[in-house]
Amino acid sequence: MPKPYTVVLIVPTGIGASIGGYAGDALPLARAIAAMGDRIITHPNVLNGAQLYWNLPNALYVEGFGLDQVAAGRWGLRPVRQNRIGIILDQGIEPELKRRHLQVADAARATLGLTLTEYVVTDQPLNVTLKTSASGATWGTIEHPDSLLRAAEHLIRQAGADAIAVVARFPDDTSSATLQQYRHGQGVDPLAGAEAVISHLIVRTFQLPCAHAPALSPLPLDPDLSPKSAAEELGYTFLPCVLAGLSRAPQFVTGNPDRHDIWADQIDAIVVPESACGGSAVMSLSQSKTRIIAVKENLTKMQVPPQALGISATTVASYLEAIGVMVCDRAGIDPAALKSDMLPLAALHLP
Amino acid sequence: MTIHFITAEISLEASSVDLIPAIEAALQSWGEPLRWAITTIDPNTHMATVEAVVTCA
Repeated sequence: MPKPYTVVLIVPTGIGASIGGYAGDALPLARAIAAMGDRIITHPNVLNGAQLYWNLPNALYVEGFGLDQVAAGRWGLRPVRQNRIGIILDQGIEPELKRRHLQVADAARATLGLTLTEYVVTDQPLNVTLKTSASGATWGTIEHPDSLLRAAEHLIRQAGADAIAVVARFPDDTSSATLQQYRHGQGVDPLAGAEAVISHLIVRTFQLPCAHAPALSPLPLDPDLSPKSAAEELGYTFLPCVLAGLSRAPQFVTGNPDRHDIWADQIDAIVVPESACGGSAVMSLSQSKTRIIAVKENLTKMQVPPQALGISATTVASYLEAIGVMVCDRAGIDPAALKSDMLPLAALHLP
Repeated sequence: MTIHFITAEISLEASSVDLIPAIEAALQSWGEPLRWAITTIDPNTHMATVEAVVTCA
């Protein structure tokens, strides 16, 4: 029996990806790949749609820093039935907004049957700052990273959490041009880079699943809201999708192999925007037998096509074409056989 | 701990096999890497611009 066909889907967060750079708008793509393949490994940016999410039994919800380690062969993934999720709430969240998040947590327990530990409030306000780099990618920082890590340590050691959901208070800037662009399905997610920093800190330190939901005040109604951004304006929080995703996120392992573990050498294909091949995961897997599929249609602020790094990739025009390539891959069919022209077999020129 | 954003220029003369270690080694001189990516490549100089977030204890 052939091994499970395993696909990694990468849409880096905070780089203005035209597909997947908004409110979970790459989730339909993830659903399509999950329907085609046996397993899809992807990160929270792809599967999170704030109030919206989709249960994909063959999807592995893997935070970006962790996914980079998996691609590098340093960590493996161990599927779970359910994680005990601990929530970290930023001390800087005002009482009513904090209560909204706790109600989401209670709803997840009562309506979805998720297991949550007691929650923790950070001992200092995290004070998130948002920035944009010269490339146009967004990033950010928190003033008190140690406070975040102390909170996580409490949840892990005292409450027995094996997955962490972080809710940090993000700055409200309802009049910014960047935000308006984002709400209209253009530009770069102003929050994304800072969110990545927060979850990366937890995963790097504690080596367990983590995802982040920003705490923000509700925005005024925008009649021109883009469908791609709409999922983030349906409710008071971004937390539901994070809890759903973390509930079955695989644990990270470094040894004591189990036959159900998934390691880099089991990844059949990685799908990435063509201009964003300069990330660690793609570069790591380019050294293996994994097929790199670069999608031209998904435009980003990055300017690193695979050939610029000497990466041998299958470049396709669209995600539909990428899925077609993977269907052939999985079935053991040469994609060239699906084209109208095929040249006769040539002899190998020997020296 | 403090968090910093840095930009580094890395030569592509090394093959892509050595490129990841070269990037991580360059970033280590600034702090512990948290997130990085090559954002652009100059085809004339064969230099890659890396944008990164690092932490310092």
